[in-house]
Amino acid sequence: MATHALFESSSGYAIFEIKLQENVGSMTKAVQNSIDDLAKFGKMVTLLSFSPFKSAAHALENANDISEGILNDYLKSLLELNLSKPAKKSSVKLAVWDPVLASSIKSALSIDCDTSDVSKDIIRGIRQHAPKLLKGLQGDDLMKAQLGLGHSYSRAKLKFNVNRIDNMII
Amino acid sequence: GRGGARGGANVILENHRHPGVFIAKGKESMLVTKSIAPGEAVYGEKRISIDGGVEGTKVEYRVWNPFRSKLAAGVLNGVEEIFIEPGQKVLYLGAASGTSVSHVADIVGPEGVVYAVEFSLRSGRDLINMAKKRTNVIPIVEDARTPQKYRMLLSTVDAIFADVAQPDQARIVALNAEYFLKNEGNVIISIKASCIDSTAPPETVFAREVQFLKDNKFKPLEQVTLEPYERDHAMVTAKYQRHK
Repeated sequence: MATHALFESSSGYAIFEIKLQENVGSMTKAVQNSIDDLAKFGKMVTLLSFSPFKSAAHALENANDISEGILNDYLKSLLELNLSKPAKKSSVKLAVWDPVLASSIKSALSIDCDTSDVSKDIIRGIRQHAPKLLKGLQGDDLMKAQLGLGHSYSRAKLKFNVNRIDNMII
Repeated sequence: GRGGARGGANVILENHRHPGVFIAKGKESMLVTKSIAPGEAVYGEKRISIDGGVEGTKVEYRVWNPFRSKLAAGVLNGVEEIFIEPGQKVLYLGAASGTSVSHVADIVGPEGVVYAVEFSLRSGRDLINMAKKRTNVIPIVEDARTPQKYRMLLSTVDAIFADVAQPDQARIVALNAEYFLKNEGNVIISIKASCIDSTAPPETVFAREVQFLKDNKFKPLEQVTLEPYERDHAMVTAKYQRHK
């Protein structure tokens, strides 16, 4: 069972502490309902740290790394800072959505990662309630960040891929 | 086109049964959406200006062509619910050049968001240009098969619309739903039989796709044909249920 969760947003990285999750992942209607309900989900996770990107270019650099499962130095330093305290290290298990990123984290920082369905349900809940859970963000801040990053990510794709023939390979 | 200020007083505007969709009644009835970026057409579609509530104000509507948009064809063929309405967040897979997406952007309006995913670079360029004028459209030039690549760009959505014309479309939809679709959210899928299996009868292909949805946490709701606007196409809607 994961003790923490990583959520990657257009505005920045968030690390949550998972406080209560015994039945998550059991796929019962009651459990899904409590993930859907912010009052209940807010008791299952608490925000440990939220680290915004410093600029549009910084966000794009991180989005490109996330899309390839690469551990960006910025994310690496955040995870180190928040999760690698010697006393904590042994008991930390980080819920990560992408198995490729999870193995990058594991090999670079020796932090155990969990990509199970339980972890996915937790991260789904975080995505759903992100505007409320990410303290410091206001109103449509997240949407504005998505809009800016969507354009820059997509423009970069056009530029980067324009003469590539291998972009069908997955 | 000729569009522009034509129509005016001779056209009567009525609400469609689906919120955010309208019918303009003049010499003939046309399906229209209220333009979120008035003043120009996206793909040469006709525009109609209608007097607004206040004296001297005009509201612009764009004609929504069922031969150009499968969602419009589904609406005209009487699909019970489209699950796309003002204020909602929609993930649109297979956005192409963004012609149909622009109408979805009109429907969800300024309070809503459309995340528009398209992998083709040529179409992606047009999509980005359309989105420059519509700040409720977030363009995502990426493969819909790999939602992990664009997961940083999305919030949880209320509905997924899919028109990716790929043999594994239902799988692509299920995968994106796991990432981004809220529990009890809905999907609307346009299925082109020949894209999935050109040897089987269309009805068999549609039934197989519906069965795939059933096996992957969806409850199928409805199926309508898109004839005569598209040949051997069906539109299927379903509800996402995470729990068993």
